[in-house]
This record gives sequence, structure tokens and C-alpha cells, in this order.
Amino acid sequence: MSPLASPAPREFSRRTLLAASAAGLALVAAGCTSSPPDERERVTGEQADELLGQVGVQETLVAAYTAAGAADPALAGEVADLAAQAGEQLERLRAAAPGATPSSTSPGTPPSPAEARPWLRAQVATAATSHATACVNQSGARAALLGSISAGLRGQDGRLA
Amino acid sequence: MADEGTGEGAADLAAENDALGLALAAEHAAVWGYGVVGAALAAADRGTATGAEAAHRDVRDSVLTLLAQRSVGPAAAEGAYALPFPVLSPVDAAALAVVLEDGTAAAWVRVLDQAAERGTRELAVEALTGAEVRAVGWRTTAGRTPVTKALPGLPPQ
Repeated sequence: MSPLASPAPREFSRRTLLAASAAGLALVAAGCTSSPPDERERVTGEQADELLGQVGVQETLVAAYTAAGAADPALAGEVADLAAQAGEQLERLRAAAPGATPSSTSPGTPPSPAEARPWLRAQVATAATSHATACVNQSGARAALLGSISAGLRGQDGRLA
Repeated sequence: MADEGTGEGAADLAAENDALGLALAAEHAAVWGYGVVGAALAAADRGTATGAEAAHRDVRDSVLTLLAQRSVGPAAAEGAYALPFPVLSPVDAAALAVVLEDGTAAAWVRVLDQAAERGTRELAVEALTGAEVRAVGWRTTAGRTPVTKALPGLPPQ
């Protein structure tokens, strides 16, 4: 009888951790140069640019959490764990896009404290859609990372509802 | 046809098909597992489990269709699966549902990692998103914290 849920195959976790970087640069940094990155890990200039753009999208979202919290301190406490997760996602994106420099656009500010939650929720949904769209244009570990972040933000959207 | 920039060929598609086969196996397990989840819930709460089971059936059928179009023989569902823990209460049921959704999420992230075709990535990101959204609800019911994940389906770094 098979177990109900099997863990992801071992080679996937290793490769994801090591290859979640454009053009296998992380593989080189980790000293794993015995085999070249496969086709899925090759990145076109367009894909690299798009990945950098997603770093900016995530930076904007992190700023939105800060802005929403400033507008509604009670909300800030309630969503502290979500904000931390958004920051974790940003770090993983930055690691996957070496050389990324801050390029976010300001999210603005919530129109009022009472509107902070729906405003933040809209920001989360926008970022999730952007990452999902970018995900299908990427491949390999970059697609996996963007898809995972998008799904994580959809989960946040549900919690903010 | 494999995407431009990601390479073409049988090797690319074979890796994608292998990943889809694993996702299919996870979906089979989820469909079966939700029967256990539903049985342990109060009647008034079974609708959520029924809806989740239907969602997994839909995804499973999409994968079956895709693999059939490629003349790939899909793995059949097993008659029964080993439960990771006894399911004796609604909280146990929610915890099992979390296991099911997290398992399918990991499988779909792997598909994203291995996919050669854009259409497959579209299917994968949709399935992954559905799994995480449902998992948030089940984690809440199961009393887990946090109820959301930063990177669903990816192994911890």
C-alpha cells in the first residue's frame, strides 16, 4: 500500500535549492560544476529581465505591507506573519536574480485606516497575478519559484478576506 | 512543441511527462484521501471536502487527458493508501487534508520545474494555487500556525 503523500523526489529539492538562480550561477557558486545546467535552467535575456521585474513587484508588495501597517496599527499586528513571508519571498527572488537592484514602484498609501485591509488585499492579489503570469514565461527553478510565490500570495489573499 | 528558449526534444518532454506522472499519482491519492477526510467531518462540514475532492478530480482528469494525447500510459490509482496517522476526529481530518494539499503542491512545483511547455506550466500554477488556497483553510481548521506558507510546494531552504 502506498503512502498517501510522497515527499518530492530528493533530486528536486537539491536542484531547486542550488539552481534557483539565473543561468546556473548559484550552481557555480556552490561548487556544483560537474554537470552543466540543463535546458530548463538556461535563461534568455527576456526571461532575465522579467525575473528582475518580479523582484520589483515583490518589493512593492513588501512596501505595501509597511504602508498598510502604518495606516492601521491593529492590522500591522494581525498581518505581521504575512509581511514576514512576503519578505522571505523577496529574499528568494533576489537570490534567483543576481544583480537585482531595487526597482520597485511605490504602492502608495491606503485611502484611510478603514480601507487598509482591502487595499492591502488588492496589492497582494496584484502581485500574485503578476508572478503567475511571469511563471509561465520562465522555466526550470525560476518557474517553480515564481509559481510557488504566486500560490503563497493567493493563500495570503484568502486569509485577508 | 517545447518552448523557444527552453529547448526541444524528447528528453525535455520525457522529464515533463515524468513529473506529470508524479502529479497524477498525488491527485489520485488526494481524491482517495478526501473520502477519508469527509467521513471524519460532521455532515454540515462535508461540503468543503466534497468541493476539494471535485477539484482534485478535475485536475486529475486534465492530466489524464494530457498524457493520453501524448500516448503516455498513466499510473492508475491504487485501491487504498496508507494513512500517515489515524483519522478519528474533525481536527484529524483537517490535518489529513493539509497533508493531501501539501503533497499535491509539491508535485505541481516539481512539474513547474520540469515543464518544457507553456501550457503545462499554466496547468501547474493553477493546480498549485488551488492546493495552497485550500490548504490555508484546512490549516486554520486544524489549528496550525501559520496558516499560510511563503513558498508552498518548495522544500525548506
